[in-house]
This record gives sequence, structure tokens and C-alpha cells, in this order.
Amino acid sequence: MRHGTRPGRSIRTRDGRSGTTAHLMWAADRFVTRLRPLSLGGALVLSLARCDSADLTEPAPLEPGPTVPGQLTVAGLGAVPDRYTAEVWVVGTHAYTSTWGRRGPAQTPGNMLYIWDVTVAAPRLVDSLLVDSSASTLGDVQASDDGRLLVVPTELDPGSIVIFDLADPVRPRLLARYRSPAITRGVHTCELARVNGVLYAFLSVNRGSSHASRLIVVNLSDPAQPRSVLERDMGEPFIHDVFVRDGILFTALWDGGTNIWDLGGAGRGGSVANPILLGNVRTVAGNAHNVWWYRDGRTGQHRYAFVGEEGPASTGASSSGDVHVVDVTDLTNPREVAVFGVPGAGTHNFTVDEARGILYAAYYNGGVQALDVRGDLGSCTVAQQRSDSRCDLTLMGRLLATGLLDQNKPVFVWGVHFSGDALYASDMLNGLWKLTPISR
Amino acid sequence: MGILLATRADPATRGAAKTEAYLTQPMAWMQGTGNWLRGIIHVRATLNLEGFTLEQGELAPGMYGEGYIDRRHPHTFVHELMLSLEQAVGPLRWSVAAGKGFAPFGSDDPMSRPFVKYPINHHLAQILERAIAVVAVRIGPLALEGARFNGDEPEGPYDWPNRSRIGDSWSIRGTAWLRPGTELTASTARVASPEDAGGYGLDHRQSHLALRLGTEGSTGANPYLLVEGARTDMFGDGRLAFRFNSLLAEASAALGSVTGAVRFERTTRPDEQRLADVFRSPRPLLDFGIEGRSRWDAVSIALSSRASIGMRATLEPFGEVQFSRVRPTIRPTVFEPRDFYGSDRLWLASVGIRAGVPHGHRRVGRYGVARP
Repeated sequence: MRHGTRPGRSIRTRDGRSGTTAHLMWAADRFVTRLRPLSLGGALVLSLARCDSADLTEPAPLEPGPTVPGQLTVAGLGAVPDRYTAEVWVVGTHAYTSTWGRRGPAQTPGNMLYIWDVTVAAPRLVDSLLVDSSASTLGDVQASDDGRLLVVPTELDPGSIVIFDLADPVRPRLLARYRSPAITRGVHTCELARVNGVLYAFLSVNRGSSHASRLIVVNLSDPAQPRSVLERDMGEPFIHDVFVRDGILFTALWDGGTNIWDLGGAGRGGSVANPILLGNVRTVAGNAHNVWWYRDGRTGQHRYAFVGEEGPASTGASSSGDVHVVDVTDLTNPREVAVFGVPGAGTHNFTVDEARGILYAAYYNGGVQALDVRGDLGSCTVAQQRSDSRCDLTLMGRLLATGLLDQNKPVFVWGVHFSGDALYASDMLNGLWKLTPISR
Repeated sequence: MGILLATRADPATRGAAKTEAYLTQPMAWMQGTGNWLRGIIHVRATLNLEGFTLEQGELAPGMYGEGYIDRRHPHTFVHELMLSLEQAVGPLRWSVAAGKGFAPFGSDDPMSRPFVKYPINHHLAQILERAIAVVAVRIGPLALEGARFNGDEPEGPYDWPNRSRIGDSWSIRGTAWLRPGTELTASTARVASPEDAGGYGLDHRQSHLALRLGTEGSTGANPYLLVEGARTDMFGDGRLAFRFNSLLAEASAALGSVTGAVRFERTTRPDEQRLADVFRSPRPLLDFGIEGRSRWDAVSIALSSRASIGMRATLEPFGEVQFSRVRPTIRPTVFEPRDFYGSDRLWLASVGIRAGVPHGHRRVGRYGVARP
């Protein structure tokens, strides 16, 4: 169909529109066209036509970066067609994936946990578990370091964390559901970590209509009776995620940047019940989404923290946001020294093979990006710097490989998990991928 | 005034139709004019009671904004409360206005236009219910308005502009009256984080261009024509994140007491995450992404008949039909219209009675010397 607003130039619709609608639109277009004899009116209509034609532009495709050394090898896919897949966690021979949002004609909600046998090339679905019939999203899933517990947060109203016993990894047994009056619109992420030998759940709680976003820490010493030990409002506008290691807490506070807290590991008098703020860094562009404090497997150094920035996205299609490298040699004075970005795509969650010094970043429509993070990331030549003097990991040749961009289908990778001998990627659109990690 | 309305959307969601009835646009207003400081002082107040009658929103496929999707949100109780002072220096007339009201941007409030049902582009073509200060100058057929206001949009009927946000946004509108009844306007606005009251959301850069034909008569403009284009670019940290466009043309004409109207609209909208109530989206926002972007092509027709009841009231039975076609403009998309609605072709039919007062369709959204 041709639109008549601009002689000699047609605006072609993409769907070959026909029928009643087409005639009505044609009539409307003709109606508009008849205004053209009015000189200023004609100019206006031409401007509107340009305005509308601009709308036909699809988002920019993912731009290829500099030469990439390789592609991560895909072992197989465990397909999930009926729900959107969210996070992944692997314990031994089983993987657990959570679900997000509503999908398909039935608008099937993201309230299901899928359980996979990952001893085979293509993850095999062995069971599923309805976590909360009222939930629409299970945005996270994590097992305890001893593999005995599995915790899943739920969104939206009112929200909770659900604690399972993994004695039988195929059939997680419900132990407890932790709710609180301080949680009214869901728990966005939940990280499990041990501090002084005690297992805690760190809940990033969504802001509600009557309260700010907040961090809640729950003691899981008795997982059947979880109890809160800390509730603290934080984030600009919200706290999104945390990372805990060696008695140090990192909180991703969106535009508030990343705070570093002493939980006892820094010897500043902090504890889980009373964290003491050590430092803050506001990485470029804000949107601090997740953190990984990296321990170099060869040197044992804790020099860098990687902060994921989640920029605006159209879920399933486009995304934005970089990986920011923060030098935390001095925990009280962290500073951003380097950055990694993929034009046309944005990062989400990380996993790190610390023994080999490889960071795998889920990159939504950019698949999986594997970075060499060994050594000095903050020193580079001028040619390897961005205009603001931060080192650019791509220009430094730190990009080792990409994954899932060769599958001839769109992907939107939410999470990654390195299990030691395999890499798993949870893809919102397709399900659970198993890949071969880089060995060096 | 107010409108008793029965409306049916077919399909509304998942292939099922929905029929509802409400009292919509229940409003009362007052205005007065006097002389002060050798100028003209004008006060205008509009009370909107939709917070009582329309809490769940009004079925309106395609509409979005203020936490509602496919429903029009209720407006705040104090829709307008503006005080303006006009003065003249030779051929130059100028005014200052302040209070709560419309930013000088875009076209007239849909409530003052021929259709009861709002167009989809409401949030692309109007900025309203803000704490605002407007300066306007006018020479002959040309007027220029500039304003500062709070960027945060209302979060509910009881909400007021956030004090911390006052003045963080601005707009400019130029108007040329080419001849009586022919009006050309161009406007632009920078609206800071309208969807996140705390100021952390995406910033909007909006532009709008319109041609309006119609001379105000006792029952509004007859005949009447509006052609408008609007664009909103959403920026995060200075980078363009999303772009939404609208093209709209509507016209009406009266023959005796019967008025007919037609509207064509093509608008792209963001498809936001939905709550358990699928007509609502999270507020405050949980993140700053969207689930997709859809284009709505809508054709509407309306017919109404006005009858006066004495000197003080009018009754206007009306009927409207809107046909929309919706499709995603970006793929893959989480929001697939055919999945959600059960079809990509949607009908909306409405009948009702508008009760008002004579001259109830006067134009809304301009203050001081910028008034036509």
C-alpha cells in the first residue's frame, strides 16, 4: 500500500496491510493529503509524514565489535517454550532455572522453577515446581555453598523468599517461606553467603508505595525458621543486588553506585546486623545492577570488582549497559579504571572462572561475552582508552570469545553459571544452554 | 459536567470482551476575571472527581500512562488551579501565570475535543497537572509561551507535584493564528523523569506540531479540524533509549443539533510490565526497561446530538466506535499483541449522555495572553 503524503515517495508498510483497515487508513491518508494545498498545512503534513516514517525504523542491530578470537562451543539446549527463563544455578548434576513475566496466549506466569539433569549435552528437564501460584516472576535462584539449600525470591505483591531442602536434588522440599511486613512488592534478588560460618540470605527488596527499597538480611542457620537480622533502606532509587565475600558486602544501588560495607571482614567493627560503610563508587552512567568481587586464582589478589550496568532495554530485543571495572585495592577509595561494552547490547549477570581468570557476562541480545580479567586491567595505552581515560577492555584485547550469537535465532541471556566443567546460560527466549567454557 | 458512559472493548484481553459503565469526566470549574495593577487578572479552577468514579480507569485500548495500560487513568482532583496576570505595552501583550495546570505543550486537553474517548497519544501530546509558571508574550497573531514545571506525573488522583521536582522541566510553545480560526503551533519540552517521582527515570524530550482549524462558537468550533504530530524521545543518562511517535487527524462538523466526528490516529506506545491486574503497571517503577513497543492504528467515528434544558444545562446523547489494529514494531518482543488480546484487531464501542452547561467545550490548556 502506498501512502500519499509525499509525492514520489512511498512509505511502505511492513505487513502488506489490506482489507477494511487499509481502506480506512487510505481514506485517512487521502484526507490528510487534501490539506496539502494549504501552504503551511502542507509543510506540517510533510513534517508529520517524516515523523511517522521515522517510526518505521527498527532498532539498530547488534554491531559487530573488533575481531573476536572465538565462539564458545554450544553443547546443547534445554528448551523452555512456555515461560520466559530467568536465572540459573547449578549444583552437581542438576541445574535450576527460574522464570519471569507472562508468556504466550495463556499469559503463563513466571512462577515455576525448572529442574534439569545436566549430565547430558542438552540439559534434560526432569521436573518442575510451582513455587508460588500468586507470583509472576522468580527473578533469582541460588543454592547454598554446601548444596543443601535452594532459595528462590518471588515477585510482585507481596513477595517472599522460598527455602527448599535439596537432599533430593530432583525434588526440592519446601522448608519455609519468609515474608515480612517490610516486603510489600517483592524480592528482586536474593544472594546466599556465609559470614563467620553462618549462612545468610541477602534480600534486595523492591520499593513499595509506602516504603523505600531496602536490604533485608535473613539468618538461615535454621532454614525452617528464617529470621531477619537487618532491615535497612538503601538505593537510588533501589538496591538491586549484592555480593558477599570474606566478610565484605558490596551493594549495587543503581544511581547510588556501589557501596562497600564491612560485615566483620575489614576489621572496622561491622557485622551482618550492623554493616559499616567503607566506601562508595559511582560508576559511569549509574544503573549499578550487580557486582562480582574477583579473587585472582593465581595470585589470590582481590584487586577488582566488576559492576554490571543495566541500561534501558526492550526485553527480548534490545538492551544497553556496560561492565565497569572498579579498582578496590583500597576498599575505602574504590575507583573505576576500565570498562567493557558491546554496542547494541547490555550486560546482565556475571559468573567468573576465577582459577582461569575469565569473566562470563550474560549480555541479553549480545549472548555471552567472555573476558580475560587476569592481571592489570587499569593500565593501558592511550589508544586503548576511552575519551574519559578509562581503559577499554575490548581495545585491550581482553574479549576472548562470545557465545550463542551463532545459533541462528535471537537470544536474550539473563544469567550465566560456571560450574567448573561447563558453562550454563539462561536465555529468556529459549531456555537453558550448556556451553563449553574456555580452558587455558 | 459529567458523562454517563457505557463502553465495550472487544476483545479486551485474551479474546474476551469487557463491558463497563461509569461516570466519567465529572468536573466542576470556575473562572473569574478582574483588573489589578492596571492589568487583567484571571483565575481558573477545575475540579475533577474521577478519583471517586474512575479509580479502576476507563477502558481505552491502546492508552497508557500513570500506571494504567489499555485504560485511561483518572485525573487528579485539582485538575487546574491557575492565576494569571495580563498586561500590555504598546502592541505587545504579556502575561504571567502560575499554579497547577497545563504546560504550554501540544494540543488541547482531549476533554475539550469532540470525542469522549481519549486518543492513544495523550501522553505524547499533552503535559498536564503540573505545578507550573508560564510566561507568555503576544504580538498580533503570534504568541510565544515558556514554562517551568515539575517533571513528575501524578501517581494517583490524590497526588500533588513533588516539591523537590518543581522547576526541573520546561516547555516552549509558539502559536501563529494565520487567520481567524486557523492556528499553527509548534512546541517542545524537556520533561525530567516523568514516570519516576524520585527523578531516577528516563527523561523525555518531546516535540509537537499541529494545525487546528475552527472558530469557537456557542457549542465549540464548527467545523473543526486538528492535525498533529508528536514525538517523545526517552533518554537515559543522555543516551537515546526509546522513541515514540504519533500522527493524529480529527475533524467534526455539526448540522443543526447533530454533530459527527472522525479521528484517525497512528501512535506507537511502550508496552510496560503488567501486574496481576493486567490493566496496571508497576508504580513506582521496578526498572527502566519496557516489554516491547507497539504501533496502534485507530479509526474512530462519533455521532452526538445536543439538546438544551433551559438556559443552564445541555444533554448530549452520543455514540462512538473505534477500530484499532495493533502490532509490535520491534521483535522479538515480550509483549505480543495477538497473545495478549487474542487478536490484533480491536473494537471499542461507547454510548452515553454528556451532561453539561452551555459553552462547556471551551478550549482548555492555555493561560493569559496565549488564550485564543
